[in-house]
Amino acid sequence: MKPIFLPEGAVLILAVVVLSVVMSGCSNPSPESLGENWQLTINGTTQKVITMDDLRALPVVNGHGYCVSTTGARFGPYTCQGADLRDIAALVGGAHPGQQVWVSAPDGYLWVFDSDQLNGQGFITFNENLAEIPAPPLRIILMYQQNGTPLSYDDGGPARIAIVSEQPGVITEGSAWVKWVDRIEIRD
Amino acid sequence: MGGSDRDKGLILVALTICIAGSLLLAGCSDKVSPSPPLKVIAAGSLLFPFAQAEQEFEAAHPGVDVQIEGHGSIQVIRQVTDLHRTADVIAVADESLIPDLMYRPMEDSGKNYTDWYLPFAINEMVIVYTNKSRYHEEINPENWYLIVARPDVRLGFSNPMLDAAGYRALMVLQLAEEEYGDPRLFEEIIVDHFPSTITVSANGTATSIMLPEIMRPSDNKVVIRDGSIYLLSLLAAGGIDYAIEYRSVAEGMNLSYISLPPSINLGSAEYAEQYRHVTIVLGFPRFSTIGRERTGCPIVYAMTIPANAANPELAQEFIDYIVSESARGLPGWPAPMKEVGAS
Repeated sequence: MKPIFLPEGAVLILAVVVLSVVMSGCSNPSPESLGENWQLTINGTTQKVITMDDLRALPVVNGHGYCVSTTGARFGPYTCQGADLRDIAALVGGAHPGQQVWVSAPDGYLWVFDSDQLNGQGFITFNENLAEIPAPPLRIILMYQQNGTPLSYDDGGPARIAIVSEQPGVITEGSAWVKWVDRIEIRD
Repeated sequence: MGGSDRDKGLILVALTICIAGSLLLAGCSDKVSPSPPLKVIAAGSLLFPFAQAEQEFEAAHPGVDVQIEGHGSIQVIRQVTDLHRTADVIAVADESLIPDLMYRPMEDSGKNYTDWYLPFAINEMVIVYTNKSRYHEEINPENWYLIVARPDVRLGFSNPMLDAAGYRALMVLQLAEEEYGDPRLFEEIIVDHFPSTITVSANGTATSIMLPEIMRPSDNKVVIRDGSIYLLSLLAAGGIDYAIEYRSVAEGMNLSYISLPPSINLGSAEYAEQYRHVTIVLGFPRFSTIGRERTGCPIVYAMTIPANAANPELAQEFIDYIVSESARGLPGWPAPMKEVGAS
């Protein structure tokens, strides 16, 4: 079999192409690119589909978030940035007393908040030792930025629920921290 | 390009492919270690015994790193089926979940996630308490339901939306109505303490209990937490008087407990038909892959090895080890099954 000889320029191009393919195959989509094609469907008295730019255009909420699993595994603490769930609900007529907000994701996970929780009430909170503490003022946000950078896929990006407070070190129950959110419905 | 230049070109191509291959292998896999970790995803009530097993299994298998992760049983399976993570061993607190959720094809192959499971242990529900609990000197297996129903007694259980122990606690209380001939027991202990309607409907011998979306009691009589560890922490602190828990958890934590009759404790295969009389309908479908209804049945733990496990031989050794340890009836372990065989 005759050896194949390549021109010098082609060798360099081949090297670059092979390395690029390898490098791209090794990594998940970057957190920055995750939000590019993301859409959030919101159902209330009207229906609306918004993009990451639309979400980021809502009033920005910053806070401290920290959660714990049902078996005691802690995740955080994080600095969280996102939009208040009430502001998102307001895009489709708002969530009123007695109504619920159903938050779901393409992996089939669903969690329900009631109107008390939208106002920061009714959550169980813990300190670092997982001892229960009185809940400080809390807010439910759809978080798109964690510790100063866009949310990664593994952390639930491009957008996940976070329950945040102005006070650091407050741990909340992680079952409500829905990852990969793509749908929000306001229900009676 | 001269002959030597061509040789250089070939060398450059070969080097590029070697470097790329190395990067592919190094960058796309976990850190190189002497042996790949054995990933075990287990139900929360198995974490205590599996932590013991992890140490002993690693000591008997030098270089093996057993990594154990805990979730509610449905979430255990979802890690593999919905979140597409790899695991070597799946261990759940409800054997029916494996055929229900894993006997289906994987997205990237014609194979099912698994086609078998091994029931290996059983458990039962008990009433745990401490010497801080109100009326702890008075409570016994005959009067426990009267004590728990007293207005000043605080009862805790896990959130049925999140934990099988939670909906099993409700089943126990409903079954107790029939056992003790007290048709208002469930209402007095549970229904009367929620602002949202909990609907109890009977059809012949079958009772269906429909829960609200948000399980938030209206007073301090009933306390609900996401998982056992939070309930037991409250119990130790005196925040609740009694909790409905698995017997293995009570024994693992050295807690005092009241054993319940086999007709209501969900621990006896002989009473399987009676347990089926109660169905809990959860407030919303937390997972799209499984419905809202949970019907009473004996508590049977089961394990399997997913078809895409990275380390199936070692996984089988781990399962064999767990079965042999479980058969010893150790404190904190679910009770061994009389006969163990794959289904």
